[in-house]
Amino acid sequence: MNPRSLARAALPALVVLLALLAAYPVVATGYGVRVMLQLFMWVALAQSWNLISGLTGYVSFGHVAFFGMGAYTTAILVVRLGLPWPLAALVGGVAAVLLALLIGWPCLRLKGPYFAIAMLGLNEVLRVIASYFESLTGGGLGLSLPTLHASVPIYYAMGAVAGVVTLVTWLIVTSRFGLRLMTIREDEVAAEAMGIDTLRYKLYAFALSAVGPGIVGGLSARDQGYIEPISVFPFLTTITMIVMVLFGGKGTVWGPVLGASALFILQELVWARFPHWHPLLFGAIIVAVVLGMPRGVLGVLQQKYNLPRTI
Amino acid sequence: MPPLLEVREVTKRYGGVTAVHRVSLKLEPGKIFGLIGPNGSGKTTLFNCITGIARVDEGKIGLRGRRIDELKPHQIFHRGVGRTFQVIRVFPELTARENLLVVAEGPWAAACQRADELLGFVKLEHLAGEYAGNLSYGQQKLVEFVRVLMTDPDLILLDEPAAGVNPTLLNELLDAVRRLRDRGKTVLLVEHDMKVVMDLCEHVFVLDHGEKIAEGPPSAIQADEKVIEAYFGR
Repeated sequence: MNPRSLARAALPALVVLLALLAAYPVVATGYGVRVMLQLFMWVALAQSWNLISGLTGYVSFGHVAFFGMGAYTTAILVVRLGLPWPLAALVGGVAAVLLALLIGWPCLRLKGPYFAIAMLGLNEVLRVIASYFESLTGGGLGLSLPTLHASVPIYYAMGAVAGVVTLVTWLIVTSRFGLRLMTIREDEVAAEAMGIDTLRYKLYAFALSAVGPGIVGGLSARDQGYIEPISVFPFLTTITMIVMVLFGGKGTVWGPVLGASALFILQELVWARFPHWHPLLFGAIIVAVVLGMPRGVLGVLQQKYNLPRTI
Repeated sequence: MPPLLEVREVTKRYGGVTAVHRVSLKLEPGKIFGLIGPNGSGKTTLFNCITGIARVDEGKIGLRGRRIDELKPHQIFHRGVGRTFQVIRVFPELTARENLLVVAEGPWAAACQRADELLGFVKLEHLAGEYAGNLSYGQQKLVEFVRVLMTDPDLILLDEPAAGVNPTLLNELLDAVRRLRDRGKTVLLVEHDMKVVMDLCEHVFVLDHGEKIAEGPPSAIQADEKVIEAYFGR
């Protein structure tokens, strides 16, 4: 079967897949639902990282900061104000966007590695802030949310975020806006000289890339029922997003979905048996991807078969 | 006629090196200007100053009587100044067509039509869907040339347009530049191929060690003592 006819079969297959995922909680065990909602979370996170770093080439080493921002915003709103969790999670997304605009305005002027390091710093600063303001955040003791069994609604909410972020990526990649984001990755000086206000475009992409992690952070906080600074600002989460996208194919639509699914499943299998192995495994995957196929699985296929960017 | 572009006493330093020193130029609209000089004489730096990629240290640059030397590159572009680069700067992972489309403002369909016309104009229509990075050096050069024309700028800066383009295409490219001039556009080009400069340009500026040492019509430049000295030594 050639790739073109595969592409034609993709839409019906996608509809069937979505229907199966929608029906899944009816037949699944509680454990199954929890696993799947985490998979959705990783898809949303990887896809969001792809929006800024895959398209503009600005590598964000602190993207989990938006996740943590969403988690804390949601938890505080639920615990202190008694807001319903879906609303609180949406506010978490808004808070993450505001943070992205605030941080992006100065930091997106930095080039390449300097931006990456600034973002790394942001995450560390937020973690310290979350530890410090005890009256609001509970400090190092963390914050417990009221008990609630809502795995199934959270499953659907996570799935919706993953789906929407992927849809948005598809829309962007097929638009002039998306092409302009890619010119920043390709050659920022030329993009500026060709009339593209690169700072503004980077800022839009950065803000968009914060929405998903913000909401998903809130949903995750609700799902876990307890958050603390080290659990919502872990550097390893950013690394995981990056590895997922690099593995699947940065700058593509389905690469992050593929990468998140493949690595999450692998991680679950390995983690269950050998808890200390998974950082090692991730390290090995980074090395293998960077050396063997820097464009990722879909990037390689795309180049080999001259496929459109919408894969 | 009032100048379209006026560069007045512009100086640009990089650390201890003065790349451009008190250079002044006036470009009247509707003419083709040449900017020549030995390697390292400051030609590309001057281009970078005009297009906002480099900040001038001293002096002023005005376009239609309004200062542009404090604007950002994308703002200067939207005032009607387009350029190509000495080292090719196409967007390699965008197709030839997309390289043109990203520059366009306004309705998408009109932009597509214009992109296809321009690619046809340089005989690259059959490569429109190919990634620009896969094209040959000369083809990339042509993509860069027509990319500038997407928005129909009034002032076009070409940094060595002839280098690496095959002779047949070169003639068409030079014709294209003349046709732009005939339509009232102003062109400033950096070129090492003296035949191109002498054929095409109506007025030539000569830089050496960052300073303007001569200007005038090509025939006068060719006979100028200082210019000969700059190129061949005493």
